[in-house]
Amino acid sequence: MSSVKTPNAAVVPEWARLVGDSFKQYGAWHTYGKLIEARNAYPGDLSLRGYVEIIKNTIVKDFMQHPKGMQMVPKLSAEFLTNFDKFNLSAQEGYLISLIDGRLQLQKLLVLSPFDQFTTLFNLAKLQHERAITIPQ
Amino acid sequence: MSNYAIAEKLKTPIAIITERATVAWRNEAFDETFGADAQQWLKEGVRAVAGETGWLQGFFVSGEEGRSVDVEIEGRSYRVELIKAISDFGEPAVALWFEDVTAQREMEQAKSDFTSMIVHDLRGPLSGIQGTLEFVLSQEGNKIDSLYSDLLQEAQRESERMMALINELLDFSKIESGNFTVESEPIRMAGILKRAVRSLQSVASRDEIFLLTAHGRDVPQIVGSVEKLTQAIINLISNSLKFTPKKGLISVGAQIVRSGDAAEAIVVTVTDSGMGIKADEIQKIWEKYKQTRNKSLRGGGGTGLGLYIVKQIVEAHGGEVTVASIEGVGTSMVVRLPVKRAA
Repeated sequence: MSSVKTPNAAVVPEWARLVGDSFKQYGAWHTYGKLIEARNAYPGDLSLRGYVEIIKNTIVKDFMQHPKGMQMVPKLSAEFLTNFDKFNLSAQEGYLISLIDGRLQLQKLLVLSPFDQFTTLFNLAKLQHERAITIPQ
Repeated sequence: MSNYAIAEKLKTPIAIITERATVAWRNEAFDETFGADAQQWLKEGVRAVAGETGWLQGFFVSGEEGRSVDVEIEGRSYRVELIKAISDFGEPAVALWFEDVTAQREMEQAKSDFTSMIVHDLRGPLSGIQGTLEFVLSQEGNKIDSLYSDLLQEAQRESERMMALINELLDFSKIESGNFTVESEPIRMAGILKRAVRSLQSVASRDEIFLLTAHGRDVPQIVGSVEKLTQAIINLISNSLKFTPKKGLISVGAQIVRSGDAAEAIVVTVTDSGMGIKADEIQKIWEKYKQTRNKSLRGGGGTGLGLYIVKQIVEAHGGEVTVASIEGVGTSMVVRLPVKRAA
């Protein structure tokens, strides 16, 4: 018999409180990571998907608050250029990185990206969080 | 007094049928209401229904309590409650409790007809007002000054809001009257989401809110009604627009739930960066006439029917709705729709 514990379907965590507390204490990215783990443990929990989306939405909204807005110009970071092997990029992130030349504005990147706008913005925010790209003020 | 004796005296028609669809017992009220031949049609009716849909067998197998069936008998409407019972011979049986709901149905129908009539009568002149405003505003460049332009734009916004309220009432009256059917056409959910976003993009831009789609092109087809599902998504986005502040973000996404290699369901999310919903209100938002204590940021209230209509539409498609919310951070409305193959 497997010793791995499976979540008890009858006990649904209080996502609103847990996610709210985590967001306040540790911020959006930490909470996002924890939510992805939780989603694997509770694949059928519909409201959990909603909480993941709230945090992703917050991340993208914050990313768009940059003073230059759609005119921001992402650049590859020095760390990425010298040590790109250590970055474990997804296929989408890798494609977006290939578009960044230090001259293209965000609005142009959104047009060139084959992904939907939200996914493109989320991936750019993730690349910025992982310090693969920088966005000068 | 035995249970049978009590049931015998009741004015409500009651009959007990067995698993083999035979009538084991009925009370006087049953014979008085339905006449001497009632036992025969009940027997035939029960056999026919049990044979056609299996619901009776299903009842015996699952033993689910509290189920009711709406039937028409000799021009009158009855709600038949099914209650688990045991026949005199110890067989599993079901008691049928006939509640005459004819007057209630007639009143509901009259109310619904009245609402439909009023709503249709309101839409006509309002469409005229909207058309006139649109025409006048299109002349803006050289014929009206900015003060009047602002006032006219305000009038246009309010007329749009009034039209939305009227449409909600019309949908609600259709739901309440039972004239709410869902077509079984194959539909592209990605197209519906795009259309819904496009139709509200100008409202979002005017309110300085980013409204973005968050789904790829590989969203599978489902079976249902394009018109009603578009209405449901528009209602969800409109609701988010009311509670999202300037510079906020609303994203409309779709994810595929797979079972093995096959797509099992589509999960649509409409997520905003609004004020969120209080914990004690979160489960009430799908009820009719319920509105949260949050004040709309765009002014004016609603009918409290928008999300109720969404729930009815989604459930008519075999789906389910739920909501996730964090106060001060945002809210996500989640809709799960099964992927069914077109017949």
